[in-house]
Amino acid sequence: MANTPIMTVADLHKTYGKPGTKQYEALKGIDFEVNAGEFVGIMGASGSGKTTLLNMLATLDQPTSGEVTINQQPITHLKGNQLADFRAKEIGFIFQDFNLLETMTAFENIALPLTLQNVAAKKIKPAVEMVASQLGISQFLNNYPNELSGGQKQRVAAARALINEPAMLFGDEPTGALDSKSARELLDLFTTINREQAVSILLVTHDPFSASYCQRILFIKDGKIGQELHRGDRSRTDFYQQILDTLGTFEQ
Amino acid sequence: MLTKLAMTGFKNRWRDYLVLFSGLIMSSAIFYMFEALATNKQFLSSNSGISLAGQIFQFGSVLLTIITLVYISYANSFLLSMRKRDYGLFMLVGARKSKIGQLIWLETLLVGITATIVGIALGTILTVGVSKLLVSSLGLTLHHFAAWYTPAASTTLLLYVGLFLLAGFFNLIALTKTPALKLLHSNDQPNRPRLKPFRQLVEVIIGLISIAIGYWAMSDLKNLQMAGIGIALVTIVIGTYLLFNAIFVWLVVLLKQFNFAHRGLNGFTLSQLSFRIRNYTKILSIVAMLFALALGAITVGMGFHRQVPLMANSSNAYDMGIVNATTAQKKQIAKLNPTNQANYHFKVGKKVVYYRASEFNQHPFTTMDQKSKNQIDSVAKQNNAKQLAKSMTSYQLSQLQASANQNMSQVFLSDAAYAKITSKQSTLTIFATKDVAKHMNALKHLAASQQRRDKGLTESMLGGRYGNYIIVNGMYSGLEFMGFFLGVAFLAMLASCLMFKILSGAAADRNRYKMLNKIGTRQSQLRAAIRKEIAVLFILPGIVGVIHVLFGLKMFTFIMVGSPYTGIWLPFLIFAALYVIYYLITVSIYRRIVLE
Repeated sequence: MANTPIMTVADLHKTYGKPGTKQYEALKGIDFEVNAGEFVGIMGASGSGKTTLLNMLATLDQPTSGEVTINQQPITHLKGNQLADFRAKEIGFIFQDFNLLETMTAFENIALPLTLQNVAAKKIKPAVEMVASQLGISQFLNNYPNELSGGQKQRVAAARALINEPAMLFGDEPTGALDSKSARELLDLFTTINREQAVSILLVTHDPFSASYCQRILFIKDGKIGQELHRGDRSRTDFYQQILDTLGTFEQ
Repeated sequence: MLTKLAMTGFKNRWRDYLVLFSGLIMSSAIFYMFEALATNKQFLSSNSGISLAGQIFQFGSVLLTIITLVYISYANSFLLSMRKRDYGLFMLVGARKSKIGQLIWLETLLVGITATIVGIALGTILTVGVSKLLVSSLGLTLHHFAAWYTPAASTTLLLYVGLFLLAGFFNLIALTKTPALKLLHSNDQPNRPRLKPFRQLVEVIIGLISIAIGYWAMSDLKNLQMAGIGIALVTIVIGTYLLFNAIFVWLVVLLKQFNFAHRGLNGFTLSQLSFRIRNYTKILSIVAMLFALALGAITVGMGFHRQVPLMANSSNAYDMGIVNATTAQKKQIAKLNPTNQANYHFKVGKKVVYYRASEFNQHPFTTMDQKSKNQIDSVAKQNNAKQLAKSMTSYQLSQLQASANQNMSQVFLSDAAYAKITSKQSTLTIFATKDVAKHMNALKHLAASQQRRDKGLTESMLGGRYGNYIIVNGMYSGLEFMGFFLGVAFLAMLASCLMFKILSGAAADRNRYKMLNKIGTRQSQLRAAIRKEIAVLFILPGIVGVIHVLFGLKMFTFIMVGSPYTGIWLPFLIFAALYVIYYLITVSIYRRIVLE
């Protein structure tokens, strides 16, 4: 498992604006791989292109050129139903603003990816209950999102992202709207999921504390990957310090 | 500067404004259309034999005003929600509250007045179109009807401007009293659908009782008169509202138990509905009422038209009477293949007409007698001279006479006594065809030739089935026209109400559908979800409306010959077709807003 790439990104470019008008190149050739079971972070300042990159990887946007492969499947040219099915089956997504449907209970929100694929009702309930107990939200399943705290909402969102056992879990500043305690709990949760279930995680953040939970961090600046950090066997606090140092010099 | 900013906001959101404008224009156009009939007293009095018509229209006016009130409050909250962010932003950058207040007033009034004026213009065009269409397709005759009717226009303008002044005032308070930050983030959170068994049970019971009272009032209109309509309107509106309010949340909870709720987006749709229904109960009950009124109006209108031959046939057993028929007229009569024909000789005395009893004994005169006291329905009865002399309905013979003889009493004499009368003898030829409506043209020709010979014989004095047909048709044409016109107006109003309400919620749904798209929902599933959700919102009031109509038609049993339920499928079908068209339009606009 150690060295099989679950995702490869090759020479990814993204240019905004039509030819002939004023163009802006957000991504200027990105190459990297994520191995199965890896926990990778992407860091960068605002406007560095990290959200653009994430949108390409998660099939929410199309690159101008280059290729992304997830689980041996090229994804940049997927369209229509194929695209929808790919998102539903291979990708889990956690957003900064939770993106829960506030008209549905936590249970219904988590079950949604399964009902979309018309999984039998009998199988849905145990699946939801299992993932909920892993994430410690079993007691909130009948609550609506606006009755939950930010941390609880984000765990519901995580449960929804994980219920399909996706090949990749993407997080877009998932701790951005959380207080430090909830953020810590969520990140611990990610670590546990990553270790115990070998889910590959790609986290986009500008927060060094969140990033310190990753095994490897890619720094992105002006549309290119500038630097790469590996945690190796170091403790999280050491790694956090290194990230801070790197950021200090990287952004100069 | 602020005005300029406000204008840019306007430009940026032209699509939302388009929804708002078209909604308001439709509403004022329909209100004008209705008022063009309701305020035209001359039209009402000359076209309806029924004295209730004026009052019915007044009720309709009040009802439509209430609906307009609700409609404008929806439109206004739509406008407000659209502008909240902008105004909050203006406040943050330091605009004075008084300046913002001015802007709000200006915008609300501007939007309102423009929409109303355009609406009245459109209403005039619609009135022309609808009336022409109805007149030509139904073969009606109308008197004193005008598409442009100034009192109607001024009523519409006054009401709408008044309501918008109110709305502007309301907006002023709502916006200037709210802190700027709250305006910026005023995404209203939906409330959790609560199950309160006791309260909802009480609501259901009160609702059912109110509706039962309403249905009873409609069926007992004979005794209650106008009060019955009033009672029914109030109780049925209240009952419908309570039922929608109480039952719907339960229904969704119940439906979620079934397996189909766990397939695709069904669960999502149900949740959407259960969250929405609180905001929708008002509009759904109004729509159900309007649906019932519109469908009822069309059904009754068509019902009245079916009445015409029935009424004519029950008024007399003969089509026409002709005194001293010429050979040409006799030939014409023979051509009609009369099913019943008789020739009676008579002599005219002072204030009396003398007939030969023997002729009546040989060829009995058929009268149409009332079956019972309360029914217009009648039975044919053969009368010999003796019976006819005693009969209450012997006037049916004199109605067939020449104009000069219609007010004279009839005396049946023995042949000997008849022979002694010295005045000149004439012959009355009376005949009946199988179907008056079928022989209309030939009968018209015959009547005209007789009217040329008997100058006093006006149309209303023709007396037989043919004459009655002409009179009743004139009277009921007006009623049928009103029925259809009202039906179309109410339908347009209810559908645009519903459409507007649904579309004004579309903006909030945009994010939900985006989310669904991000977690991997197929486009086809999203489309199906939209179709289903809107279908439920259309079907629910439809069902309730149909039930209301079925009971409401009972009101007309005592002013209609035969059952008001015969041939009911036709108006229902027409109505369903129009309703489906509105549904499809709503779905396609909604889809465009939500899925882009």
